[in-house]
Amino acid sequence: MATFFTYTSWGRSLGFTYLDWFIVAVYLVASVAVGLLGKRFIGKSVSHYLVAGRELGLYIGIATLAATEIGTITFMYNAELGYRYGFSAFSAALISGLAMIIVGRTGFVIRRFRELQLMTVPEYFERKYSLGLRLLTGILVALGGILNMGVFLKIEGEFLTIVSGIPTRYMVLTMTVILVLEVLYTVLGGMVSVVITDFLQYVLLSVATILVSIYAVHYAGWSNIVNKVSSTMGVAGYNPLVNPKFGAAFVIWQLLLWFSIHTCWQTTAMRMFSTKSPEISRKVMTWTGFIYLGRGMLPMLWGIAALTLFGAGAMDRGVPSPVVNGSTLAALDAMPAMLSQILRPGIKGLVVAGMLAATMSVNSSYLLGWSSILSQDVVLPMRRLLHKRPLSSRAQIVVNRVANLFVSLFLMFWGLYYTPPGAVYLYLNITGTIFLAGAFVCVTGGLYWRGANTVGGYSAMLMGAAGAIVPFFLLHSNETIAGFAAFGLAAVGLVVGSTLGRLHKPPLMSGTQGTTI
Amino acid sequence: MRAWQTFWSVSLVVAGGSFTLITVVVAIKGFQDLRDLFRRLRRQQDEEQ
Repeated sequence: MATFFTYTSWGRSLGFTYLDWFIVAVYLVASVAVGLLGKRFIGKSVSHYLVAGRELGLYIGIATLAATEIGTITFMYNAELGYRYGFSAFSAALISGLAMIIVGRTGFVIRRFRELQLMTVPEYFERKYSLGLRLLTGILVALGGILNMGVFLKIEGEFLTIVSGIPTRYMVLTMTVILVLEVLYTVLGGMVSVVITDFLQYVLLSVATILVSIYAVHYAGWSNIVNKVSSTMGVAGYNPLVNPKFGAAFVIWQLLLWFSIHTCWQTTAMRMFSTKSPEISRKVMTWTGFIYLGRGMLPMLWGIAALTLFGAGAMDRGVPSPVVNGSTLAALDAMPAMLSQILRPGIKGLVVAGMLAATMSVNSSYLLGWSSILSQDVVLPMRRLLHKRPLSSRAQIVVNRVANLFVSLFLMFWGLYYTPPGAVYLYLNITGTIFLAGAFVCVTGGLYWRGANTVGGYSAMLMGAAGAIVPFFLLHSNETIAGFAAFGLAAVGLVVGSTLGRLHKPPLMSGTQGTTI
Repeated sequence: MRAWQTFWSVSLVVAGGSFTLITVVVAIKGFQDLRDLFRRLRRQQDEEQ
């Protein structure tokens, strides 16, 4: 079998055979071709473009929601967590899955959201509060979401270069080509294209996930995995409550965070808005919750397997650094390095195609999600505040496409050069918290508390953002403190602001104050 | 520590098993859903025209 011999930054030739390249090429062509089919179905309607005409059934809903929230970035940060914190990391996966199942079973927030026939989360802020608060929320959501997505490309590129053996100097070019392909079908076909490709990508990424899990346990050995965690981390490798990085405060913060992600994260919420009925949205959320357990735990297991096979270097923050063929790597790169070593030709191509599928499904959904916020919740409200005439449905689609291209360009320049500090999972959590804390408090307050009003809404959004930004970026506190500060300040902001708002009744209060919608 | 080991082992089996099972079901029934989606979108387009 002919083989491409290439050299990575850690100096060992890796084999990516013609068969592997063929599998990857077939996937890329099929994915783009299938994605372009979506353009036939969007017509002139903005609701077709953004929420697929609200026609998603249960199974395609599960596929698109799972594919949207499982990317190569997900595998990378979860594997890093497993490598650094052992089985204790499983607590984060368990919380994310259980929170999703609870939201699905109870219909908490998502049922009411679907009944309101929204297209974006900030749209709710105008219905309940005011146009101005919708604009502020739109800006914060777009800012936090795009910055959050900003680290995806570089980390996904690292995975692909290590596993496939593409020289690192071609990483920028490779990721740019992949981004262009994603943008092509997302811009043209909107949500319909994203849903079609998500289905194909979900099946492929799931097969890759199952294959890698089998390989990882087979090569590392279950008893070796358990022994390695025991000898390296002791009880902290199993019990999250005694692990210094986790603890009870972390568990509570994660609960708050995951409830807010499953209800207010734009890309997740868009799937709920796109379902045929509120009942279908509940079922989609419930069943995807079970997938979320595997979404977290399986890649964490890969990380622990990588620790078992390659964790032999100098101690770094309590765990030995991975050493592969004499070169010391970062903990983040341990999992892809392991895959490059243990996967056979053919299987490696299938896994890389699966990871590309994961990458493209997440990126296309996120591009559509954040560009829809820019077009629907920033550009359109600003036009209304400036008393300009409303845009037609077709013009809104054009604005969304331009916003999509803008986000893509930003990602190309920011995403490929910025390196997040510390564990990627925690960095993503805290950038998301910038808007999630305020948004979650405003949404739950608006839906379930009659006293919530516009002054409280403004206070919650601003104090929630400050609570995440000031402790983490300026005071360099750890993520748990910043997370608690954000949610705590947002809640205080809503209650105190709403109370003051009722006393003074300023003219900016509008929407449906004094009711719950 | 033994109790935690057992707990995470069982959780892993549940997570891996449900991930695999749901993948199989969604792969089969999702295709039918997708065809229904196309049909309904076509109908919506026709109604709009």
